[in-house]
Amino acid sequence: MSIRHGLLALLSSGPRYGYQLRVEFEASTGATWPLNIGQVYTTLSRLERDGLVAPGGADEQGRAVYTITEAGREELERWFSTPVAQTDRPRDELAIKIAMAVAGDVDVAEVIQTQRAATMRALQELTRAKRAATGGTAQRLVLDSLIFKAEAEQRWLDHCEAVSKEKKTS
Amino acid sequence: MTVVVSLRDVTREHGQVHALKGVSLEVSAGELVAVMGPSGSGKSTLLNVAGGLDRPTSGSVTIEGQDLATVKDLAKLRRGSVGYVFQDLNLIPSLTAAENVMLPRELDGVRSGRAREEALAVLAEVGAGEVAGRFPEELSGGQRQRVAIARALAGERRLLLADEPTGALDTATGDEILQLLRTRCDEGAAVLLVTHEPRYAAWADRVVYLRDGLIAESNAVRLESAR
Repeated sequence: MSIRHGLLALLSSGPRYGYQLRVEFEASTGATWPLNIGQVYTTLSRLERDGLVAPGGADEQGRAVYTITEAGREELERWFSTPVAQTDRPRDELAIKIAMAVAGDVDVAEVIQTQRAATMRALQELTRAKRAATGGTAQRLVLDSLIFKAEAEQRWLDHCEAVSKEKKTS
Repeated sequence: MTVVVSLRDVTREHGQVHALKGVSLEVSAGELVAVMGPSGSGKSTLLNVAGGLDRPTSGSVTIEGQDLATVKDLAKLRRGSVGYVFQDLNLIPSLTAAENVMLPRELDGVRSGRAREEALAVLAEVGAGEVAGRFPEELSGGQRQRVAIARALAGERRLLLADEPTGALDTATGDEILQLLRTRCDEGAAVLLVTHEPRYAAWADRVVYLRDGLIAESNAVRLESAR
């Protein structure tokens, strides 16, 4: 997850101080990925080192304010115009587990059913969060993203069950 | 909570085929239960038996305390207590949205004026008030499904059976339909939903998996209700 680019995106609509960035980041992603203030400052200092943001003095209450630079705007534009690569994802533990179950002497159907129950529970919780959400379109779409991912996993598990059953009976 | 529909050890055989092999399931007022399972697992048979559209080979089905085996006029009980929403909608093309909603009530002997009032009220409730005078072919897929749900709800029916109600709808419209079913449920209806789509099953309080005519598990995926 790119906190770096998330912060640049927020700064592109005007100078902000650290705490404000944290609050706005969480508001627009529906608090799905909570940020601690330390992460915000670490990221800001790296962005400053790379010349993508510049300290812009302090506001009237003495808080250090950051401004996006021209290079920062270019980086943000590049980010929005580049698709996210599948290979950036870490190894998938569930896929490995099912593969090992199929290859070994394990009740595959049981492994699948256990996972399916857990994934459905997660999906129900996400759906409930979506029903209760009041944070507008951005928040809703972030929750939808997690819902679609959980749904894909559920479909894949159905597929695993059908295929491993076929294999057994044939 | 009041149990609205109850199936006990229900089997259903179609010739040599055992569509249901001993299913027990209860749905209470205010509860949304989703039934999932692969094609041919008996999902639709389960729904038809639960709503009195089909009779079990053995076992019993009870709707609002009445054992269906002892009910003489099943059609009347169905019209009074059970609303159905199917994937293929079954809206009558030559009738307007309002007339489609009125029809089952009129068949039940409700006067035309009152049936119309009820129809307009329930159409407004499901967000289809503005299309009451239009014919099905003049409506979008989502609007047609809303009309079908309104028809299923007219007359205060407390059991709603939905078989793939999101059929060919896009996911955003499908979510709106589930929101609608969920709201009716929160207002006290019992809803039994058959779907093969996990995203819609996730709106339920309880998800039941059907495998080869048997419930694979009925309690593992229970989520505490927010109410």
